[in-house]
Amino acid sequence: MQAFYEYIRDGRIKIDPAKKMKEPVTYQDPCNISRSGGLWEEARYLMNAMCEDFRDMAPNREYNHCCGGGGGYIPMGPQFRKRRMQSGKVKADQIRETGAKVVVVPCHNCFDQLRDLSAEYDLGIQVMHFKTIIPHVWDLPDHLKPPNEEAN
Amino acid sequence: MAEPAVNVKLIKERLAFLKGGRFKAWLEICAHCAYCSDSCFFYLAHDKDPKYMPAYKVKQTLDKLYKKKGEVTWEELEKMADIAYGDCTACRRCSLYCPFGIDVAVMIAAVRGILCGQGLAPKGLQDAAKHHWETGNQMAITEEDFVETCKWMEEESEEEMPGLKIPIEKKGAETLYVLNAREVKFYPQDIAEAAMILYAAGEDWTFPDLGWDMTNLAMFAGNAQVMAHSAKLVYDAAKRLEVKKIITSE
Repeated sequence: MQAFYEYIRDGRIKIDPAKKMKEPVTYQDPCNISRSGGLWEEARYLMNAMCEDFRDMAPNREYNHCCGGGGGYIPMGPQFRKRRMQSGKVKADQIRETGAKVVVVPCHNCFDQLRDLSAEYDLGIQVMHFKTIIPHVWDLPDHLKPPNEEAN
Repeated sequence: MAEPAVNVKLIKERLAFLKGGRFKAWLEICAHCAYCSDSCFFYLAHDKDPKYMPAYKVKQTLDKLYKKKGEVTWEELEKMADIAYGDCTACRRCSLYCPFGIDVAVMIAAVRGILCGQGLAPKGLQDAAKHHWETGNQMAITEEDFVETCKWMEEESEEEMPGLKIPIEKKGAETLYVLNAREVKFYPQDIAEAAMILYAAGEDWTFPDLGWDMTNLAMFAGNAQVMAHSAKLVYDAAKRLEVKKIITSE
């Protein structure tokens, strides 16, 4: 995420403002990236660069709640699933309150937990990584575009 | 079936090793003020059941181990495992609220270390650690499958971005890119997306052929030996390929 932040900040990757996401989007601060990694402002820089309607959860940044699947909780296996869903209620409520239908998260562990929570609590959200969104909102120089687009 | 025997000697050794000034101070100065309680999502999600208070979780595990000098029954250890693995994700949020700066997660991790030594880490984590030790990644993906997946993603993304390559084990590249084994196994598209972004940014990068899994489930299990090994695989790859920096996929 630090790298993506630097690419956009330094203009190595340009964002096309017309392609920015229009729908409300929120961001999940992963414990190891925000609280323990200190990258919460970089995440917001990216969110605002890619989305027109970024809505923070409350609480957020280093005070954000764990997705409820951290510390190895998901790979511990199915016998822990019920407990994982019960304690994940706090996160599900946090997401619902933002009204966002897309949650961006850079952590693959949070990613799986949020998808499970969406099914469990009927959140109807789409969970996405930064790396999935960036290619949809960037403004590529001509020599990097696919041949058919170049012709246009 | 009889209960397995507790290796008390091992617990005692571990407790002695851990008992530096920090743990001693933390266990003694916790005033049970309960500031940590409301910070914990387990506590909030269970109608503020006191059993989920972070200070109480420590009381029931590490504190008990010290008070009993490691002489605990198998049943007691099983209860501790239920707390250390099932009632705490080591998210460290409570540490932000403790007026004494006590880091509960570090103590829970220490408890996991002791439990793992008795074979009480959840099977999923034990398996992942075993895989990482034996194959260099937590999901036992073979080098052949890893290379194959990268080739496949290279072909897919080349259609969108002519000239794109997914280099593996390229010595002298500027940047080493490492990821989560889950991406290779379940979300190969993640590799293509990252490769497209790295290419667009003009990054001179490479995957290693060994040491590409940045995850460390052995750390969550409490297995220090495999934890160090997992981290060293990535470090060794960076040294071997003489890169200047490492980018992780998170």
